[in-house]
Amino acid sequence: MKTYIFIALLASLAMPVSASNMGIPAGAPKSYEAECASCHMAYPPGLLGQKNWQNIISGLDKHFGTDASLDTKTESEISRWLLKHAATKKKYSAFALENRITKTTWFIRKHDEVRSDVWKRSGVKSPANCTACHVDAAKGNFDEDRVQIPTK
Amino acid sequence: MNKKLLLSLVLLSSISVDVSATPQELLKGYEAQSGMASSARGEQFFNAKHGKEWSCASCHENPPNHDTKHIVTGKVIKSLSPNTNPERFIDQAKVEKWFKRNCNDVLAHECTAQEKADVLSWLMKVK
Repeated sequence: MKTYIFIALLASLAMPVSASNMGIPAGAPKSYEAECASCHMAYPPGLLGQKNWQNIISGLDKHFGTDASLDTKTESEISRWLLKHAATKKKYSAFALENRITKTTWFIRKHDEVRSDVWKRSGVKSPANCTACHVDAAKGNFDEDRVQIPTK
Repeated sequence: MNKKLLLSLVLLSSISVDVSATPQELLKGYEAQSGMASSARGEQFFNAKHGKEWSCASCHENPPNHDTKHIVTGKVIKSLSPNTNPERFIDQAKVEKWFKRNCNDVLAHECTAQEKADVLSWLMKVK
């Protein structure tokens, strides 16, 4: 019995950061989808810590090689929401090099069995293209059993 | 109804109507700031590199009459030609925003009104 309670407790602790529950939190401004998800999926704010999001917002005119600049009003509305929902748990909020989700320690460890040629397949293109393999990523589901890696 | 309120409602509705446009209206606007558009020049401009890594066609492909994928992220980009996608070139603010961003990506500076007129006039011919 004790074991069951312990397992249940562990499960409940894991819930907020579980891979099937990493969606877009409520209250997302409409502009987040329109402005940020035109070139890549709308990344859940919980995948990076506050400092990384701050850096990203302040460098949008040079955003990973492209100009993703916003007008001031849109920038502040998106920024407020991102910072409010940024990762807080140590595992996800640790500073990511280059402000890239793909450079976080957890991302690298979770994907360490993916061979380098897989990332280059035309159906994948980039480690930033979550939805290529995590078919339900846009719904916030990154569960391993929902992964379908493109063969080409 | 209070006259002032009615007047402001009428004004508001006309403002919201003004935001939307047609590709033809946008083209006229760019031509008014420069000269007559040349779709041949626009086609060449669209498909050429301009000193940087990408051309417009790197993401939108040639002809830009179908859904394509972002060259880096693989995210689907809806068809660009207004003939194949009625959502294109009907919102001036959106058009200006993307010209600014994408011209910076392709040319490292903003496009001139002439360049925008040329490209848009070509896109309006792409079936």
